[in-house]
Amino acid sequence: MRALALVTATAALVGCGKSDPPPFRLNMTNVVAKQIAPEHQQAIANILGAMFGTPDEPIALKETGLDQKKLDMAAGPVWSDKVGAKHGLYRRHCVHCHGISGDGRGPTAAVLNPYPRDYRMGVFKFKSTYTAAEPTNLDLTKTLHEGIPGTAMPSFALLPPDEVAALVEYVKYLSIRGQMERLLEDHASVELNAGDKFDPANDPAVQKLVMQDMLGPIMESWNGAKEQVINPEDASIPPDNRPAKELEASVKAGRELFYGTRANCVKCHGPTALGDGQQDDYDVWNKAINDFFKATDDKIGQIASLKTDLAKAQGDDATQIRQQIVDAQKEFNERHALLSSLLLPRNAIPRNLREGVFRGGRRPIDVFWRISSGIPGTPMPASGPAGEGAQGTLTQKEIWQIVDYVHSLPFEPASLPQKRPINASEVSTGE
Amino acid sequence: MPASEPLAGYSTWTHRWAVVLACATFPLLWIGGLVTTTDAGMAVPDWPNTYGYNLFLYPWQTWLLGPWDLFIEHGHRLLASTVGMLTIGLLVLILRNENRRWMKGIGFAALALVILQGVLGGMRVLLDERTLAMLHGCTGPAFFAVTVAMAVFTSRSWLRATDSSPTDGAGIIRRLTLVVAVLAYLQLVLGAVVRHVPVDAQPDTFMLAVRFHLFLAAILTLHIIGVAWIIQTRARQVPRLRNLSLALVGLVVLQIVLGASTWIVKFAVPTWASHWISPQSVAVIQGGWTQTHIVTAHVAVGSLILGAAVALALYAQRLLIESPLPLVVRRELGAAI
Repeated sequence: MRALALVTATAALVGCGKSDPPPFRLNMTNVVAKQIAPEHQQAIANILGAMFGTPDEPIALKETGLDQKKLDMAAGPVWSDKVGAKHGLYRRHCVHCHGISGDGRGPTAAVLNPYPRDYRMGVFKFKSTYTAAEPTNLDLTKTLHEGIPGTAMPSFALLPPDEVAALVEYVKYLSIRGQMERLLEDHASVELNAGDKFDPANDPAVQKLVMQDMLGPIMESWNGAKEQVINPEDASIPPDNRPAKELEASVKAGRELFYGTRANCVKCHGPTALGDGQQDDYDVWNKAINDFFKATDDKIGQIASLKTDLAKAQGDDATQIRQQIVDAQKEFNERHALLSSLLLPRNAIPRNLREGVFRGGRRPIDVFWRISSGIPGTPMPASGPAGEGAQGTLTQKEIWQIVDYVHSLPFEPASLPQKRPINASEVSTGE
Repeated sequence: MPASEPLAGYSTWTHRWAVVLACATFPLLWIGGLVTTTDAGMAVPDWPNTYGYNLFLYPWQTWLLGPWDLFIEHGHRLLASTVGMLTIGLLVLILRNENRRWMKGIGFAALALVILQGVLGGMRVLLDERTLAMLHGCTGPAFFAVTVAMAVFTSRSWLRATDSSPTDGAGIIRRLTLVVAVLAYLQLVLGAVVRHVPVDAQPDTFMLAVRFHLFLAAILTLHIIGVAWIIQTRARQVPRLRNLSLALVGLVVLQIVLGASTWIVKFAVPTWASHWISPQSVAVIQGGWTQTHIVTAHVAVGSLILGAAVALALYAQRLLIESPLPLVVRRELGAAI
């Protein structure tokens, strides 16, 4: 009793009590950019809440096929029980970088380069599947197990497999939730007018729209990931113990492709392969923010232009333009209020291939997948086919040759790199 | 006065007890840091009991052979209780042996502080509140500073003060050493903020905290080097100050190395530093031995710096006496003699 009184007294002293659990938040950049009305924002939050629950009490909707037990293990506050079973794994290991909503906006995000991944687009860089496909569980497990060398993403190799599996499930959960949110916001922006109801619970048509037309394709993509794995043909895979001459020839061919116009790796990775090629492109996550900044700047010009028009306009035209100015100013204010909370967009700087640091894994097959399906969400394009049976820019044999060349780059003498971007024919002449 | 002669007001037992208390508090801070590093704070859901057992009656086999989180958290509680009892013991000795009224006041203040610290730790568990964990992380070093102060106040050097000698600029040195202690504590508070940023804070919160922490680290380092240099040049005749100031410089160097290492083992080599340090070809291992202990050592050495700074500041107040004549005059007198 005395202890309780002491606790209460100290609580009063420091002025705190149990704080509210952190909520999921809407993607405000998207909400403001798409000018979604407050009542529709609330409707979207309600739908997401009903479908996915809260960060403390996630829901594994039957249609998603997610495992409730794994989600419960990963979600909620951090604690461990008497036998050492850990709970709140996401908040223990991931939230400081990836954020409660999986938006890549955790409290440490601003100091990290690259920024932590925003799962909500359902786009993952390092995976074994075709470009447009989702990653497999194995891909996500590999990223967790090995981490991403050269970045702040650590390896969770010391975690027991059940904890890694729970985290993979939770990452998928956040990703599916984020994809769903985006579709709902797109729908609200395009299809709904002010005052329109958007309530699946009381409208079977909206329910069908949400569950079948929106969630359906998302889950199809996730559930079909295993069938989208790129398996190189056995005949194309170079054996581990190749004769030196064969490897040398493959490296040489890979080098020509690297500097050639078909693979055109030189465009971004640069003539020296130090990543000194094109520097001003963005990945999709930074591009979204950059577009938001640009559109906000454009609003100033738009308002100024409308004011000029207003000076010349009369009657109904003037009334209409006045309303447009009010709307544009309102949008500008909403955008401006968000700007300070955004992470400044960063260019996608191509990888320095001479460091021997391979973010997506250093095995030949890892590098093969990077070249074949590109790095989704980034300017690194796919050189292989877009899907089963499709035609790629490069053949599998050629991709393996580039793999050999890339693996040889950290050991290539510094005098060998080209001095400037050149085309394939110049390379062959030089050789 | 020879060291063997009895010293008025000196109690061997009180001093020894104070030293033991400070020595027991330091590992407690280290283990407390380990609790935060390994996120083991919520391994025991109740308080002051441990899974329904009285703290001291919890089966030791389950504690020692059980899960790591439980081992660390319960161990932290047991050591904290030991420190609490040592504080009570010291207060009893102070009340029995000390004539200085203010010393008794400090004894009571230490007891109040250790109780507050225990309650904060308990509330952090009961409310599962990370802000309280941060406060708990700030009060711990403050208590350690008090234990160091008590060890200083009860020491022979303090009571005898025979090391004292006229020093030019004694007043300035005294003030500068106090500033070291204050800055060292502020730096620990900033460190606690860095460690306990709320999970739903804005994405630049951590960056701001880190920038302040780095800024103060630079100020503190320069200040400590400056103070050490002044002491080495102006108060060389006071070995205790000389040694303490050198120890502080050593600790600061160690702390800078640990701080940089902490960043690398947590977040890998920063992109801007990759021109000088090759990025790792494998990712950092989350929760690995190296990461856990480097991060925790950085926290613990911060407290050690505070302890050394407090000792330096207190001894400077006690042992440095303003020279009655300016240095130039004394040199001239010396030359004349």
